[in-house]
Amino acid sequence: MRKALEFQGVHKSFGQNSALVDAFFSAHWGEVHALLGENGAGKSTLMNIASGLYAPDKGLVKISDKPVIIDGPQAANDFGVGMIHQHFKLVENMTVLENIVLAHGQGGWRKSLQRVRKQISDISNEIGFDIDPDAQVNTLSVSEQQRTEIIKVLIGGAKILILDEPTAVLTDEESTGLLDQLQIFAEQGKCIILITHKLREVFSHANRVTVMRGGKTIDSGQSPKNLTPEKLSKLMVGEPTEISRISYSPPKETVLELNGIFSKRDNGHTALDNFNLKLNAGQVYGLAGVGGNGQTELAEILMGVRSMNSGEFILSGTPLTNPSPSRVRALGLTCVPAERYIYGLAGDLSVMDNCVITHLKSGQFGTFFWTNRRAINKETKQAIIDSEIHGAEPSTRARLLSGGNAQKLVLARELAGSATVLLAHSPTRGLDVRACTAVHEALRKSASNGTAVLLLSEDLDEIFAISDQIGVINNGRLVGEFNSPADRSKIGHLMVSHH
Amino acid sequence: MISISLNFIRRRRLTIEVRQRISLGLHVSILLGALFFGIGVCIAILLGRGVELSSIYEEFIVFTFFDSAGISSVIVESIPLVLVGLAAAVAFRVNFWNIGIEGQMFMGAIGASVVALFDIGPEILRLPIMFIFAAIFGIFWASGPAILKVRLNVNEVISTLLLNYIAYYFVLNQLFGPWKDPRDKFPHGEQYDIAERLPAIGWEQVHYGVAVAAFSFIVVWWIIERSRFGISSRFVGVNPKMALAVGLPVSTIVAGSAMASGSIAGAAGFVIAAATEYRLTFTMAAGYGFSGIVIAFLAGNRPITTVIVAFLMGSLFVAGESMKVFYSLPDALVGLIQAIIVLSVTASEFFVRYRLRLASFGDT
Repeated sequence: MRKALEFQGVHKSFGQNSALVDAFFSAHWGEVHALLGENGAGKSTLMNIASGLYAPDKGLVKISDKPVIIDGPQAANDFGVGMIHQHFKLVENMTVLENIVLAHGQGGWRKSLQRVRKQISDISNEIGFDIDPDAQVNTLSVSEQQRTEIIKVLIGGAKILILDEPTAVLTDEESTGLLDQLQIFAEQGKCIILITHKLREVFSHANRVTVMRGGKTIDSGQSPKNLTPEKLSKLMVGEPTEISRISYSPPKETVLELNGIFSKRDNGHTALDNFNLKLNAGQVYGLAGVGGNGQTELAEILMGVRSMNSGEFILSGTPLTNPSPSRVRALGLTCVPAERYIYGLAGDLSVMDNCVITHLKSGQFGTFFWTNRRAINKETKQAIIDSEIHGAEPSTRARLLSGGNAQKLVLARELAGSATVLLAHSPTRGLDVRACTAVHEALRKSASNGTAVLLLSEDLDEIFAISDQIGVINNGRLVGEFNSPADRSKIGHLMVSHH
Repeated sequence: MISISLNFIRRRRLTIEVRQRISLGLHVSILLGALFFGIGVCIAILLGRGVELSSIYEEFIVFTFFDSAGISSVIVESIPLVLVGLAAAVAFRVNFWNIGIEGQMFMGAIGASVVALFDIGPEILRLPIMFIFAAIFGIFWASGPAILKVRLNVNEVISTLLLNYIAYYFVLNQLFGPWKDPRDKFPHGEQYDIAERLPAIGWEQVHYGVAVAAFSFIVVWWIIERSRFGISSRFVGVNPKMALAVGLPVSTIVAGSAMASGSIAGAAGFVIAAATEYRLTFTMAAGYGFSGIVIAFLAGNRPITTVIVAFLMGSLFVAGESMKVFYSLPDALVGLIQAIIVLSVTASEFFVRYRLRLASFGDT
């Protein structure tokens, strides 16, 4: 087999941070090559070099054994490299057809439309994707958008397909379908590079695997057949991870109650459909579910930034109808949001400001007319030490913190004082193992202090690691509830089966 | 399989990268570098017009900064600039794009003129009353767009901009009509009495407007940098979604900041009417609104830097004026010089955000 894409001695740094250090990689024609690693291991950076988005500081890129310079996405396309990014590169308010013409149109717009329309239907038939070329992108589901991206790179003539965590947004069934399709592409002679951090996918669908850690290539080009999951995960994280199990403890008083909540998405589809939930003080309630089944809307309703269409929302014994965020907070609900830099932190402001913003009203940091900078500074320094927020000074801009440390900062703020309910939405998304553990410990600790923790997560490992009680949300409904320790396969089935 | 083939290549080129962080020293050097670049271009233009290097140096440096008359006129020129700069900064930092500073200045001047015209209050308190009326009229003029913005999400750029014209034509209406100067029948207001004029402090032509500017600066600095309102408003400006989610009173902060902006603009109108023009005129606000925007932008919406930038802008105006008088340079050239310097400093923002770096390809 000939080599399709090869990297030798690639370096890339952003400011002071080295993303890639002497990384090497090689993938052959006709194979599915998994690129495995934790978040921040350098997988996406390496592949962004192949797709022309980044220029390497140093190093050699070869395609079909010939050294090349990929100095832009257009050049990547000319070399037959097509990448499907984690965040799709589609114009939301344009149709599928227009998006593809935008990327690969030639000559006049009208002529291109005709030609590409035919290409779309040819390729759709060939690979069995059913996609309406005239559908507007923002009306498509996530997996349809992904198919649009795949068709786009195929029309662009891609022979090396790079997919960045393609299954992160898909259900199990959709994932299997996609991975099977990728294997077919490989059998046709294409080179498929699958960036992932899921071991299961490596064993089920990859011909060979390269493992990266901390910007370096740890292991290159082995067949998964020669590896065990334990060996591979050790290569990936460098240290064994252990998962503790929580035993069920009897409930205390109910602090949050949701009865028959209905809510519609912005596009009119039902997000929450007669959703019920009861949360008790001192417990961690893990609400498991594949992303996009109503978790975001639920979190937003609890935070007070989205109004529900009907239903009962009782917090600390107080019935609420579409309360404001300040009302919800006054009743003791705090929140670790999914999108850290949207609802959790102001990236351009200092750690100090971010650390105390929700506590200014309490009066411990001076009066309305004169805030006590010294008290704020002292409190922040204490929080940095207590929560082990590395690389932070009170005056550091919050954006400069790494993901894990930024999340620790949010947690430190939201857990300061006495929260009745803590809403944690995907609190460890994008964090490394060590930061995950720290976040989990913080959540457990706050539960043992009497806070009711509601954990919304797509990650079953996380749910199982820290929950007293586990619920499953599917299609906007609570479809099952279990006390820990629960049957994992049963929960997994409820998450993905059709309701 | 791949149609394009390249032999072994070694190539270097410049790439642009986003800076993760920037040290204060580098930031200042970039700004100074841009300033010197702009000044260099201006010097080249002036030399081309036949002005000698020594006289450029004397006008811009010696007679502007090291001469009692020069520095005092810079201060006088800077007073309204500080006020409009603060007015813009206060609104901009919560993303309220107040384009209506000129209209609010007119309203402030009208408020002051009402007091002067109808002799409201005892003479000893006349000036403070004029100041308060000017601020209230400015608030009044900003409150419409502010409320429309937070209640109905009406774009404040349009509403404040259009209210400028309404204020302007209202002033014209008054000056050509009921408030026409009874003495010379010219379309400007009746001259203020002595008690209604801001007195000189006793150094060159510097007047007590300097106290108004200093007072405004201190209040703004205190609110923005030290009060709870200021910290909260930072969040509203940087991340409004988060500000709302953590329970900050976003609407109140936006509307409050917009009205504070209006009050400072009103105060600027008062200072010009009571210290420079001694009456209401229809040319008094010309251009100040846009100067305010530029000053606030260059100053990053911070009170201290706003004062510094306003001062530098004032000196640019003063130096420009004397170039006009002594070297009979056309008005347009003076404007050009000011624009080149402002543009250079503005463009230097690029180097603050990005770094240029030499990267090599095909290099093992």
